Amino acid sequence: MIIIKDLRKEFGDLKVLNGISYHIKKGDKIVIVGPSGSGKSTFLRCLNLLETPTSGRISFEGEIITDPKADLNRIRRHMGMVFQNFNLFNNLNILDNITLAPVKLKIKSREEAEEDAFRLLERIGLKDKASAYPYSLSGGQKQRIAIVRSLAMNPKLMLFDEPTSALDPEMVGEVLEVMRELANDGMTMVVVTHEMGFAREVGTKVLFMDEGVIVEENTPEEFFAHPKSPRLQDFLSKVL
Amino acid sequence: MADFADKFQRAFLEGDRWKLYFKGLGLTLEVALFAAILGLVIGTVAALLRLGKTNDGKNTVGSFIAGVYIDVIRGTPSVVQLLIMWFIIMKNSTNGVLVASLSFGINSGAYVAEIIRAGILAVDKGQTEAGRSLGLSKAQTFLYIVFPQAVKNVLPPIGNEFIVLVKETAIVGYVSLSDLTRVANQVASRTYEAFFPLVGAAVIYFVIIKLMTIGLGILERRLRKSDHH
Ligand SMILES: Nc1ncnc2c1ncn2[C@@H]1O[C@H](COP(=O)(O)OP(=O)(O)OP(=O)(O)O)[C@@H](O)[C@H]1O
Ligand SMILES: [Mg+2]
Repeated sequence: MIIIKDLRKEFGDLKVLNGISYHIKKGDKIVIVGPSGSGKSTFLRCLNLLETPTSGRISFEGEIITDPKADLNRIRRHMGMVFQNFNLFNNLNILDNITLAPVKLKIKSREEAEEDAFRLLERIGLKDKASAYPYSLSGGQKQRIAIVRSLAMNPKLMLFDEPTSALDPEMVGEVLEVMRELANDGMTMVVVTHEMGFAREVGTKVLFMDEGVIVEENTPEEFFAHPKSPRLQDFLSKVL
Repeated sequence: MADFADKFQRAFLEGDRWKLYFKGLGLTLEVALFAAILGLVIGTVAALLRLGKTNDGKNTVGSFIAGVYIDVIRGTPSVVQLLIMWFIIMKNSTNGVLVASLSFGINSGAYVAEIIRAGILAVDKGQTEAGRSLGLSKAQTFLYIVFPQAVKNVLPPIGNEFIVLVKETAIVGYVSLSDLTRVANQVASRTYEAFFPLVGAAVIYFVIIKLMTIGLGILERRLRKSDHH
């Protein structure tokens, strides 16, 4: 589904991604772990081109999306993204948060979009919040709504950048639960997280990133049981 | 005491002078209103231009021009701008109100532009990123998400700018317009008595500004009630 070739990203003199190549297949649940500053967010943000790669090539379903002529707005419709800080639209209520993009991009009529939104809200048990505004919700509620806001676009792929890192501990579970269900439904997912339990349980592959490269890649079982590189061993000894 | 009452009488009542003050006030408000509208329009356009970036993140030509405009206006006294407008740029115009409104509007636009620019930049970057990640275009994201949030940020300082504007118009006497300040000054020199006309003018300005402040306060409170942050 996504083929990444020798992806590099520099911010001025700072080399953040130093040649990443990877192949994400349909239905994969890729979990990315690594120390702070290793470039995980930058990698994720390059996938939907919120960051423009310095060099390298990314193709999505056969289309070269790093081509300067690529239609980013169209491509991004197919890739949902969930942020650490939720980023619900503060000026819109929950229903409008979910329906804005599908309606404005003429993917659904307003009626359809609202119907879908209510169905999605029902699924996460927040139907009664449809007319509430983001400021009145808990972090866990915001993040679950952010997830269904992306789902309302019927994406082919979902990117998660530390979706539970800004949450109070008691709210982490409810968000991971929604992600788990999504994974079970067959969604292709790329997840940056510090939740090793989730990585082990849901991941089809776990990647370890450090200093802008993928240092190690393996199935969750192997990844956690038999880390090969010293850097990963060191990392795991700190986080487990 | 009789002297006092006499001076009051001469400053305001003799020959229906009080009407002059109100005519002056009318002119003050007229210039301020036109200038405020013009300043809002120019300021919005200048702010959007100023924020313009090319796709590789460089400033656009529009951004450069808007930057120069803002710099020049803020770096020169408004009296000088008014005189330049009156004696040079529009020297053939006899419509003082028009010239003054234009001059103050162009002046105010620079300050409004900076207010709006700051208001837009104060909206969390994550809001834009969320919009773009859903496939909304730059313009759609701005229109539906960033702009509505920026409006809330800028209303209080814009209100303040309007208040400043009303007071700033006190210099239109330089181009022979009989605003409140000039009327008071004229009455003072005609009656050889400055106290009542000038204090009178000050009181009228103060009341107007106070009313504006109260109005803005109500507006802000109403906005805050529906504030969703
Ligand atoms: N827009 C930017 N401009 C300049 N430097 C940046 C920018 N974005 C990220 N960086 C730098 O790039 C490096 C990698 O950042 P990135 O956010 O990708 O790391 P990360 O692995 O996601 O870390 P964390 O676990 O803390 O989220 C950091 O040193 C960061 O300061
Ligand atoms: Mg990060």
